[in-house]
Amino acid sequence: MPRQVVLLDAGLGNLGSVERALSQVGAAVVRTSDPDTVAAARIVVFPGQGAFGEQTDAIVSGPLGSAIRAFIDKGGSFLGICLGMQLLFEGSDEAGGRPGLGLLQGRARRFPNDMVEPPPPGTDLPGRRLKIPHMGWNDVSPDGEHYYFVHSYYVDGADPEHVTWTCTYGDVTFPATVVRGNVVGCQFHPEKSQRAGLRFLRAFLLGGWK
Amino acid sequence: MLKRRIIPCLDIRDGRVVKGVHFGGLRDAGDPVAAARLYDEHGADEICLLDITATAEGRATFVDVVRHVADQIFCPLTVGGGVRRESDVARLLDAGADKVAINSGAVINPNLVEKVAARYGSQCIVVAVDVRRLPPRTAPEAAPAAPDAPVPAGFEDDDDPVYEVVIQGGTRSTGLDAVAWCKTAAQLGAGELLLTSMDRDGTKRGYDLPITRTISRAVPIPVIASGGVGSLEHLYEGLAPGGGEADAALAASIFHFGLYTIPEAKRYLAQRGIPVRPFGP
Repeated sequence: MPRQVVLLDAGLGNLGSVERALSQVGAAVVRTSDPDTVAAARIVVFPGQGAFGEQTDAIVSGPLGSAIRAFIDKGGSFLGICLGMQLLFEGSDEAGGRPGLGLLQGRARRFPNDMVEPPPPGTDLPGRRLKIPHMGWNDVSPDGEHYYFVHSYYVDGADPEHVTWTCTYGDVTFPATVVRGNVVGCQFHPEKSQRAGLRFLRAFLLGGWK
Repeated sequence: MLKRRIIPCLDIRDGRVVKGVHFGGLRDAGDPVAAARLYDEHGADEICLLDITATAEGRATFVDVVRHVADQIFCPLTVGGGVRRESDVARLLDAGADKVAINSGAVINPNLVEKVAARYGSQCIVVAVDVRRLPPRTAPEAAPAAPDAPVPAGFEDDDDPVYEVVIQGGTRSTGLDAVAWCKTAAQLGAGELLLTSMDRDGTKRGYDLPITRTISRAVPIPVIASGGVGSLEHLYEGLAPGGGEADAALAASIFHFGLYTIPEAKRYLAQRGIPVRPFGP
């Protein structure tokens, strides 16, 4: 029997690929931007691309933010993807400092500009500058699989108890996935991560994360 | 660690995959949806679709192709070609593209990059830059007999090759220095650069390594190398330290015509010490 998933459209980017990926793993997807639909759901997925800013402020302090808090309080299964995961935390340094929902401890910070990957040993080549955004496929630990990431900010200061997988870029090791009870967040885009991503979404739907 | 990406690119004209030499002389390479689906199943790290039609009907067909391809794949999709206005970006993102590449439109109107980056986020804006190497100015024997564009001011240094930006499918010179324009594009809010050598495009002689390396080192955003891949060795060169040092390698014909598969390319690169995402079940 397909599980009904409420896909939260808060205006933070395109939801088409998340919807397709959820359908692919057997979910019956209902898109909404209505707080009451969120509050009444059993499973909510909250994708987000882009940046903290006025739009996220409006979500955090508005009816959608209240609906997300109420949904999580009553024990519904919640998945935040990328910006949707970062919004679970206290806030971000982005755009002069912006608040998050404050459901998890930690804050989004920008990757340092000056990270360098050392040159191959025995060469006189300069070290390779690490680019921002962190864009592409990176492996996560201890899962070992590769997932597709696109982000310039990462979550810092999370409670280690909540961090299930980590990823490393340059000098920074950051949470790739977080889990606290019924709340799951992933920094990567499972909908863009081919088989590994679909497997991740299936596990979430089946409650394998609780 | 972050892996270098392998990106098969599909040039689309009138709903079909085509491949040309030096941006011209096209031949048919098949159905884009079937090709994209196969690449996705084979572990392509990203798929790129470029619209090379110039007609209104062609543009509309391309948006349909984007929609159908986006429907079938579970990896990032970059699309471009003929993007001039904010509404073009919106239409392509709406059709399911993850990133939109802006080429001539960015040169003609740099403000477009700034606007769409602010609106949709840098992560979905790629600035595509077509470059061509200029002949050395002070070497008379190498001077072009009838240059269609004079060497612009500031290009006097002959010790290093100088490259200029060309637009509109390589038909127009801009007088813009390639490195300077790439830096500007990054400042305007591009999340990534797609750098194509017009001299090498379709030649199977390999990427233009000097300019790829220079730009990869000069900008703080990822660079995709493009133009000229004819062998797996060329992919290696484009990504290798001291080679192109690019973050991603784009190729078209070696994959379309079945010369190599994506898994073969990845195995080869891994053996040569390039960090790539392994392909496996």
